[in-house]
Amino acid sequence: MSHEKNVCICRCEEVTEGEILRAIEEGARTVKGIKIRTQATMGLCQGRTCRRLIVNILSKHVDINDISKLEIGIRVPVRTIKIKNFIYDEGKGYE
Amino acid sequence: MSRKTDIVVIGGGVIGASITYYLSKRGKKVILVEKKDFAFGSSGACDQMIFLQTKNPGIHLELAIESKKMYKNLEKELNHPIEFQTIGGMVLIETEDQMRVMKEFVKRQKETGLNVEILDIKDGTKIQEGLSPDLVGTTYSPDDAHVNSLELIKGYIKKAVTFGAEVLVNTEVIGIRTKNGKVKGVETTKGTIGCEVLVNAAGSWAPVIGEMIGLDLPIRPRRGQIILTEEVPPYIKHDIISANYITAKYSLDRSFDNDVLGKLGVGLAISQNHRGNIFIGATREFAGYNTETTREGIRRILKHAGKLIPGIVNFNIIRTFAGLRPYTPDGLPIIGYVDEVEGFFIAAGHEGDGICLSPVTGKIVSELIIDGKTFIDAKLLNLNRFRHLT
Repeated sequence: MSHEKNVCICRCEEVTEGEILRAIEEGARTVKGIKIRTQATMGLCQGRTCRRLIVNILSKHVDINDISKLEIGIRVPVRTIKIKNFIYDEGKGYE
Repeated sequence: MSRKTDIVVIGGGVIGASITYYLSKRGKKVILVEKKDFAFGSSGACDQMIFLQTKNPGIHLELAIESKKMYKNLEKELNHPIEFQTIGGMVLIETEDQMRVMKEFVKRQKETGLNVEILDIKDGTKIQEGLSPDLVGTTYSPDDAHVNSLELIKGYIKKAVTFGAEVLVNTEVIGIRTKNGKVKGVETTKGTIGCEVLVNAAGSWAPVIGEMIGLDLPIRPRRGQIILTEEVPPYIKHDIISANYITAKYSLDRSFDNDVLGKLGVGLAISQNHRGNIFIGATREFAGYNTETTREGIRRILKHAGKLIPGIVNFNIIRTFAGLRPYTPDGLPIIGYVDEVEGFFIAAGHEGDGICLSPVTGKIVSELIIDGKTFIDAKLLNLNRFRHLT
């Protein structure tokens, strides 16, 4: 299968496959390394779709059997949430 | 692989990157060695502030003012968009007690040359809408600034490479080679690099490098949890912190065992970046090398933010993260050669000031290594200042 280097991988930050391959060429061996070089996974959805695609691309260059070494960077919140809803306590309000 | 260079810099954070840039700019051959990847530790997990008002009057504030001056030309110098902007800053004051401390603090800052004033809450609201009417007042300085820390590191490295510097990522230092009490090289997972001078710029991990020559460095990782909101229209017009950040940081005992900020848990800091995301931080906790975020810590920060700027609770958060600020007992970085091994230089321990102080640190380190002297009294930053403690 030939690579379409301008295929969009991270839609939020408009990062293409070519840019991700270039980051790997520059030494990135983790999702975090690709993120720092390209901004991929840093947008509104925080990599919910592209993270898997990036791991897929990385798998051709590094051993992905040890997933802890990939620094995949999943963090709270799992979904976008309003601050109000995050700090509200039943019976106590926002304080 | 065995090779030689003038200077090896250990650590690919903002301090190592800056030092590599300033040393190569002056013609030194530098290899930067980073065990993971650049901006992988604290420098890639921080906010964006160059906040002069949080600095203690005296050497600390002088360093910050000099650094800020250097920032003005930095974007042009590096030829890289670092998003530096002098946006002004406010310290929000919640109680009369804090107001008393802040009045004295601001007076001393003015004497050191900082442009800063105290406003009542009515005047404060004129320059930043949405402040809680319960606040007692605020300071304002037009000089506070911010910068995109990731782009800053990339800028330093890119430019340093054009001066001949080399950057080795995924390369861990595993030993220091010495002979007759002098540095002779650095052993890494990818071979030995011969050098007469090395700079330990490993931030929170600097003690690991220090230990290789038997040094016990007084640097501890201190976790700062930060929240990032979705992109919103301009809302935070100036960088904002809460006065308890300062009153706790400087008016009381700061020793490792009796650290008030550590117990208080939060030094609130709020700022909005170029794209519209708002950074809301940060906890200050001693949690070893753990970089997880906690529900308790995040909620504590957000509750405090909502108390000072009530409208902020209507925004969505998209991410939380945490970085390890390299704490030192007196809040100042450790910069200078050590007595034990000739050629072993330390530049670490900036706690939350790494981004702010990166240009001036690069300047001081390059001057001390190349000229043997610098523009401030270097003794104030040397490791020896802690010797009486041990």
